[in-house]
Amino acid sequence: MNKSMNANIRYLPQANEVDLFHHAAAVKLPVLLKGPTGCGKTRFVQYMAEQLNRPLITIACHDDLTAADLVGRHLIGADGTYWQDGPLTRAVREGAICYLDEVVEARKDTTVVLHPLSDHRRELPIDRTGELLKAHPDFMLVISYNPGYQNLMKGLKPSTRQRFVGLSFDYPTPEREVVILCQEAGIDKQTATQLVALGNDLRRLKDQDLEEVASTRLLIYCALMICSGIAVRDACRACLAEPLTDDSETLAAIDRLISSYF
Amino acid sequence: MEEFVGAIWHRMVTRQSATDYADARVELADLLPQLAPFYRGLGGEPGKLLEAAEPRPFRAPRKLIQRIAGTHRRHTVGWQDERSLRLPPAIALFPERDLNESLYLWLVAMAAKLPTIRHWFRDNQSACRALLDARPGLARRYHEMVEVALVLRPGQDQLQDDAWTREQTIRRALLEPGSAERLPRAPGDAWPVPFWLYPEPMHGLSVTACEIEDEHHDTQSAPPETVDSARRTARRLDDSKETDGFLIFQLESLFSRVEQVELDRCQEENLDDDLGAAEDLDIITLSRQRRAGSARVRFDLDLPAPHNDDLALGEGIRLPEWDYRRQSLKPDYCLLQPMLTDDAEPAPLPEALRPAARSLRNRFGCLRPERNWLRRQWQGDELDLDAWLDRLTDEQHSNEPGACYRQRRPNQRDLSCLLLADLSMSTECGINEDQRVIDVIRDSVTLFAEALSGSRDRFALYGFSSIKHKQVRYHLLKNFNEPYGDAVRGRLQRIKPGFYTRMGAAIRQSTVILEQEKTAQRLLLIISDGKPNDIDHYEGRYGIEDTRHAIQQARAKGVQPFCITIDEEGSDYLPYLFGDKGYALVSDIDRLPMLLPRLYLNLTGAC
Repeated sequence: MNKSMNANIRYLPQANEVDLFHHAAAVKLPVLLKGPTGCGKTRFVQYMAEQLNRPLITIACHDDLTAADLVGRHLIGADGTYWQDGPLTRAVREGAICYLDEVVEARKDTTVVLHPLSDHRRELPIDRTGELLKAHPDFMLVISYNPGYQNLMKGLKPSTRQRFVGLSFDYPTPEREVVILCQEAGIDKQTATQLVALGNDLRRLKDQDLEEVASTRLLIYCALMICSGIAVRDACRACLAEPLTDDSETLAAIDRLISSYF
Repeated sequence: MEEFVGAIWHRMVTRQSATDYADARVELADLLPQLAPFYRGLGGEPGKLLEAAEPRPFRAPRKLIQRIAGTHRRHTVGWQDERSLRLPPAIALFPERDLNESLYLWLVAMAAKLPTIRHWFRDNQSACRALLDARPGLARRYHEMVEVALVLRPGQDQLQDDAWTREQTIRRALLEPGSAERLPRAPGDAWPVPFWLYPEPMHGLSVTACEIEDEHHDTQSAPPETVDSARRTARRLDDSKETDGFLIFQLESLFSRVEQVELDRCQEENLDDDLGAAEDLDIITLSRQRRAGSARVRFDLDLPAPHNDDLALGEGIRLPEWDYRRQSLKPDYCLLQPMLTDDAEPAPLPEALRPAARSLRNRFGCLRPERNWLRRQWQGDELDLDAWLDRLTDEQHSNEPGACYRQRRPNQRDLSCLLLADLSMSTECGINEDQRVIDVIRDSVTLFAEALSGSRDRFALYGFSSIKHKQVRYHLLKNFNEPYGDAVRGRLQRIKPGFYTRMGAAIRQSTVILEQEKTAQRLLLIISDGKPNDIDHYEGRYGIEDTRHAIQQARAKGVQPFCITIDEEGSDYLPYLFGDKGYALVSDIDRLPMLLPRLYLNLTGAC
């Protein structure tokens, strides 16, 4: 859980997501981001926080996350007990964007804490202190998750989903992905084009040979390794083949695909 | 004696005329597990299979030694249709192994780029050009291969003027794809180009199987040995004339024909040689008549007599079927008939299965799925810090811990499982002397039911088999609400092999049943022993696409399908149907009864 205000975040818009987010912020609605891993959701939220000039508080959700972790708890200090705000309460109080990443990993009884914040009330009841905290006008709630097949059983409750404006994310188009690679890693356009074509080849293997596909993030890692000085084929093998599968035949096939380019 | 000398001569002259490099030979079967994902990664259609092609005749100019030896009349080239991509079963064209491997990769890349060929000469060149521009690594390999291949092609000394002009154009097209517009005419065929795809081989008159009249099954089993894995060109012979074969005789003269006549056959019938004959035939003629020549009287072998058959429940349920060629659903195409073995006596568990059943029941009884921490307990393994802090910070707190512990406890399992068993005719075949596949399936389903009856999970058992789309038999063995007992055991003991495997309809009906369940997790377990197939057009790609459509619909409705198969070739088509992690291949069939409950535990997240 961290609080950051970065300058000059780079994000290449894919469709109208920037516009939609601006409008949602203006009318004080919470936003839900859906998309596969590594396609730019977190980067997008950082970019929007910078654009709207608000602080960003990120919470990575997991199975053991409790309501107290979000809202806050009493702690014991030198002078006795005192109340410590959780990250959600801080965001509500100070008017920051609160981003809950991979919200389906948290248990459902934890996520219901979000309900009073995500409808017209925009308030957070803190039972422990008895306070009914009204949200700062700049407060905004953003959640994200990966709607893949593995998460079918873990999805959000319909009553939770219905409170959010939804934005769908996917891997960028090849042209955009080339631009992203050049900007993030600093490699030349020729290699970037080949890498993006290879990434798209691997994405065609989804569900039949590979469970997860090559995300933009993996391609950026590969480009960074190449820039750092590793031979292209080795970088591709280490960054794109090995993380995705353990089956030797599939690895051999991916090797062939890599050598068809480099 | 003459045969002996002839064999030696044949061997000698064939060796002289051979242009293959046998040391550098690469087999398709070895490379196939890599080629299939490679094909899909390059953009090939996911549902297509990769198979071996058979040689086809070429009237190409041959060297003198080849003409004497009678070789090089047929060559194997790559081609594809909507069902599969055919590649040569082995390549030994180049002196180096990796060049031969590269040729396979090149052909697969061409196939992904060029799904249909309209103009052989131009389309191949444009696909070639596109591949060379997009993939530099592949381009390097291509140029290496072409350099060697051009040396091996027939030269000017072998070819006359027209043929030589044509050959030169082909060479130019290989070196610079896209540069040659027209292929000049010349007598005969050009020497086959190993880098290009060819159109489908010509078919004779195709007589489609008539669906309107009832056909009966061929009760003869398929020949035990197949020639090789290549699919042969088939030609259907239209021999539907009804007047053939009937012996018109008078009944009173029947007894005079009874005596046995010893026919002296001067030629011994050698069945092994027949397979060799099949290899030499280019086209194997199939007769549309399915009956053996002698049996001309029709018996209705399709369905058992109604009083011997299971009870049909209701009028039947109409289900759609997916036609992948039209990319649309055929509504109400299949009639699914639920059936119940109503005359099954309640029976106890067979003796042989009792020890296994007991241990499984115990194991399932203490299932420990996703352990959850129960907080604020009066006793437990660990301190619950939150609760303890709360107590401390509470003004009226006492100094005892109180309910400040947390403990792990198994969660309430909230799932239901429908087990769908394929009861088709192929389960009739035997594994060893005393067990058939159907016996193994019956034992597996019984043990599964025993195991799950020990846990609190809801489960249902169904079996299916089909005869065309009008009769998809859906056997109710146990539904969700029925308690498991001797009545169900009796029905399980009466499982018998059925007909064919129209899997799509059975999956759709199972999905409908599972949708009624209100649990969080709904699992559809399918036990299969082969590909979906039925005696009408439901086979090959059509059957697979319809099954896949049914599976995706099931997933969209929140059902988790999983397939357990004993088909050794399952990994060819099951990843496409169920996903890479959505199936399990059990190679040792007798282990299926013990493996099935364990697979269930893995799937449902219990340890």
